[in-house]
Amino acid sequence: MEPLIEARSLGKVFPMGGGPVHALRDISVQIAAGEYLTIRGPSGCGKSTLLHILGCVDTPSSGTLRFDGRDVSALPDHARSDLRLRSIGFVFQRFFLLPMLTAAENVDVPQAEAGVSRADRKRRTAELLDYVGLGHRAGHRPSQLSGGEAQRVAIARALANRPRLLLADEPTGELDRANGEHIAELLDRVQADGTTVVVVTHDAALAERAGRRLVMRDGLIEREEHAR
Amino acid sequence: MIGRRAAIAALCAAVAALSSVASSAPSPAPDILVSRQLLESQQLQVGDVVSLSSDTSGANPRSFRIAGQYEPTPDPMRLGAVRLEVRMHLPDVVGLTAQSDPLDAESVDAINVVLANDDEARATVRRLMTAVPGTLAERTGNDERRAAPFVVLERFHLAIAIVTVIASSVFLLALMLMLVEERRATVGMLRLIGFRRSRILQHVLAEGVVIAITGALFGVVLSVVLEGGINRFFQWRYDTALVFVHITPGVALRSVTVAVPLGVAAIFASSWSLLRGEGISLTRR
Repeated sequence: MEPLIEARSLGKVFPMGGGPVHALRDISVQIAAGEYLTIRGPSGCGKSTLLHILGCVDTPSSGTLRFDGRDVSALPDHARSDLRLRSIGFVFQRFFLLPMLTAAENVDVPQAEAGVSRADRKRRTAELLDYVGLGHRAGHRPSQLSGGEAQRVAIARALANRPRLLLADEPTGELDRANGEHIAELLDRVQADGTTVVVVTHDAALAERAGRRLVMRDGLIEREEHAR
Repeated sequence: MIGRRAAIAALCAAVAALSSVASSAPSPAPDILVSRQLLESQQLQVGDVVSLSSDTSGANPRSFRIAGQYEPTPDPMRLGAVRLEVRMHLPDVVGLTAQSDPLDAESVDAINVVLANDDEARATVRRLMTAVPGTLAERTGNDERRAAPFVVLERFHLAIAIVTVIASSVFLLALMLMLVEERRATVGMLRLIGFRRSRILQHVLAEGVVIAITGALFGVVLSVVLEGGINRFFQWRYDTALVFVHITPGVALRSVTVAVPLGVAAIFASSWSLLRGEGISLTRR
């Protein structure tokens, strides 16, 4: 079976004043559809850079990336935008919700951009907010939500267009233990419902929940662990 | 004969002496029109009989009956002058001035003639100059010499307008840069969600058009309001019916035509650097 994501010899170099910085060196990884993968490592090891490249937010300096069998490593910007909109969901440490919109409107935005009809959007938004346990907070703005609630809205937004891949960058990084646990359970559920989940985290407990764990160091995959 | 064809009116600019006498008895005094300013300053009324003299000492006065008042034709060249004037028939002017100097009965320095048909002005001037050698006849309207100071003033206004537009554009650009910078994170989030650059640019430009049109219309409304205020103030200040500021539809249209593209260009220029950035970098402060 063909993997959902296939990265071969990915490299990423950032030109800096003091000379080029090699954020990623010869990374190769395959991620199957429906898999739950976590990436761990010390700060600056390149795990977020890898996540951004896997999510088509950034492009690799070298190597190839295939998404669902299609080479996406050199796609033009608009094509990468379309791919992100329809096939990839993002969750970030700092939620990145649009502050002037309500929870429901934040979930509505990607669907509207994808051309979903108003009626379908309304139904899907209600369904997703219920899914993350925030149906009663639909009309609240991000500033009126707790960190855990905001992150759950961010997950609902990431799932809005039924992506095949959900990428999360330190999703529990700004949450207390209880809220972090809640988010971890939600990610488990998302994966159990068939979405491929890739999480970058420092949180060992969160990382342990995945079926496969990559540990990175200095832009390389140091080791790969599998759940027992 | 010019006198028959035209309504004859003479302006007696120097009213040397003027006094009101009893107005109750019928008077054979000839009629005159008195400027509103003169009527007010001397507390006269229509129907009053007044004595006028062309001599500053008030010698040899003649009586006239005030038949009505008039608003002097606004004249920018006489801004600030108090229009203490009367209008009287030409024979009365001659009679009034001749009393002090018998030769005056034979001569008049200047006569303003209002033609029934303005189109005949040029021909009338030519005919007069030909018929009475030594007479200088000229049109009061369309006089390039009289308009010369206003041409200079207009150029000065144009220069001010250009400087204002340039300064406003710089200010607008700075304002838009601040506005766009505040939206840095929002644009970053939209890019991460999957919004295309072109789509965000569309939003930004649409917003820019709305802001620019709203701003331009606000400017037009403000200028119309100010127009009324400025005119009222200076008309009161100089006691004149002159119009100092006039916002014509053409001026308003020109302003909108300049302002809207400028506003859109400013928001486009300020957004461009932001839209070139990658989504994730935009969300970092």
